[in-house]
Amino acid sequence: MAGLHDLFFDPNHPTLLSGCARAATAEEAAFRVQYPNSTTRSSRIFALDPAAAEAMYAITEDPWNNAHFLTVTATGVTASTRADDLPLCHPDGSAATLESEIRDADVVVLLATTGDSEGAAEVIARECFNRNIMCAGLALGGGQDQPGVDRVVNSMRRFARVLVVANDTDYIPAMLTALRA
Amino acid sequence: MLRKEVNELLTQTDPETPMGDMFRQYWIPALLASELPEDDCPPTRVKLLGERLIAFRDSKGRYGLMDEFCAHRGVSLWFGRNEEGGLRCPYHGWKYDYQGNCVEVPSEPEESGFCEKIKLRAYPLIKVGDILWTHMGDKENRPPEPEWEFATVPAEQTYTSKRWQECNWLQAMEGGIDSSHVSFLHSGSLKSDPLFRGAKGNQYNQNDKKPVFEVVEADGGLYIGARRMAEDGHYYWRITPWVMPSFTMVPPRGDHPMHGHFWIPIDDHNCWAWSFDYHPTRALTTDERQAMIDGWGVHNQYVPGTFRPRQNKDNDYLMDRDAQKRGESYSGIWGIAMQDASLQESMGPIVDRTKENLVSTDNGIIMARHRLRKAVTALRDKGTPPPGRTTDHQMVRSAARVLPPDQPFKDAMKDDLTVRPGVKQTSV
Repeated sequence: MAGLHDLFFDPNHPTLLSGCARAATAEEAAFRVQYPNSTTRSSRIFALDPAAAEAMYAITEDPWNNAHFLTVTATGVTASTRADDLPLCHPDGSAATLESEIRDADVVVLLATTGDSEGAAEVIARECFNRNIMCAGLALGGGQDQPGVDRVVNSMRRFARVLVVANDTDYIPAMLTALRA
Repeated sequence: MLRKEVNELLTQTDPETPMGDMFRQYWIPALLASELPEDDCPPTRVKLLGERLIAFRDSKGRYGLMDEFCAHRGVSLWFGRNEEGGLRCPYHGWKYDYQGNCVEVPSEPEESGFCEKIKLRAYPLIKVGDILWTHMGDKENRPPEPEWEFATVPAEQTYTSKRWQECNWLQAMEGGIDSSHVSFLHSGSLKSDPLFRGAKGNQYNQNDKKPVFEVVEADGGLYIGARRMAEDGHYYWRITPWVMPSFTMVPPRGDHPMHGHFWIPIDDHNCWAWSFDYHPTRALTTDERQAMIDGWGVHNQYVPGTFRPRQNKDNDYLMDRDAQKRGESYSGIWGIAMQDASLQESMGPIVDRTKENLVSTDNGIIMARHRLRKAVTALRDKGTPPPGRTTDHQMVRSAARVLPPDQPFKDAMKDDLTVRPGVKQTSV
């Protein structure tokens, strides 16, 4: 190792600490440039069924960054439903359209607890896929209606870039916070 | 991103910190058994969870792990004499047994019983496989002894190494569950590393650099599935299990041995990266074992006489820009282990997670942090033992398989992801 020492600690060619990998210290971390390195993301969160909506409404009042929370308001939506016909509403009850909501979206998150929403899941996930919008599906298992959760996961699999099967609803704010929603 | 207080909660493991208390609920790897090769061999220093300890093997083959410093005047017992059933401080001859009991204070009358009032904090040290394991928590809450498959198969089927990694345990562990970096950082090694090359699965990795992820909670932790396109609309799945707090396995390739890691805090700025390879049904070949010793696969080369990698931050990890240009190494760093370590150490001793910009494909990491946080707070606030301590949680394997598109891996690969003694791993 003497050769390496000579190579990297040559007194005739001094190296600043910040000019080599040894700068990975707590002291050098203080010199990392401090600035906001990202702008606000546009996140759209869709609750696909009533139980998912209940979990979502529990957190909509939290301080989010330009996140929109939406609910699919009707059952019986099938995969062949046109995107424009998908019944959506905001937390205040006002109607919304899929087109207007995802037009400028950076990320779309789908929340589901049962298989009843597989048609709506596929309609939204497919629209995101076609528009190259990152789509993440979050199936809330909790040991309930496991075949139903499997159905909704299967419906999203072809279109979503990420699928998560979580046991508890407390993962919703954890994930949205991590994603800066 | 992670809030500052949560980052501190998960990364600080010294005594009497919540995460430190959680690590103290488990049997954790402390030393390689080869570090204490025979009775009365030299003692060795070991620092774990912010505690400086000394390990030794007494005249009867009993392993001891205790406070490094003599209770008399604070001398390091690394200078001690390991003889006649105990470790004797060379300064004034105080002697300790493998449980930390002071058994001799030569300056005091034997009849005074003075030495019975002296005891060094000590922890159990047991040998399972090639590893000496310790449990640094309360004896009353001691979990069953570890039964990880890599440590319980016959010796000729397994190989373990460890290396010093100069950063916090959490950012090292997060690298172990971040499958999406493989197609970039390790792409050169998939073609050249003798412990990786030649598997059909490598082609799927190379051809599809945008894997789709599926994260599924398990009782002991997570299964993180990475899906890439295969033939005829089928999916090539690679499943990484994570068992709390810090056990990860890499999905296998072909008939190569399976490998994985433990990430164990030394202190808040350093950790031990334990790396193992094993084959469930056959002995490692001479070539495979030699490749591991030579630092291929998940192992590494060393500064002689130490567990510090030969490539380290003092030599810029021996960066080879020419190899990078030739396409032999995506990052210019040799070896899979040091490709990971070099980048993880460059993040700083504890990465500032308030600054990071996670994306949806980081959900494995997000979920792991979430599970850790829940377990830490449940232990702190309610005394609830965390997951991952029991044998059933340790009976996991990684796996790789091609599946039709409508089959969820968690069901179709349930058996593949479970230890089945005498049954080969599921691999592509």
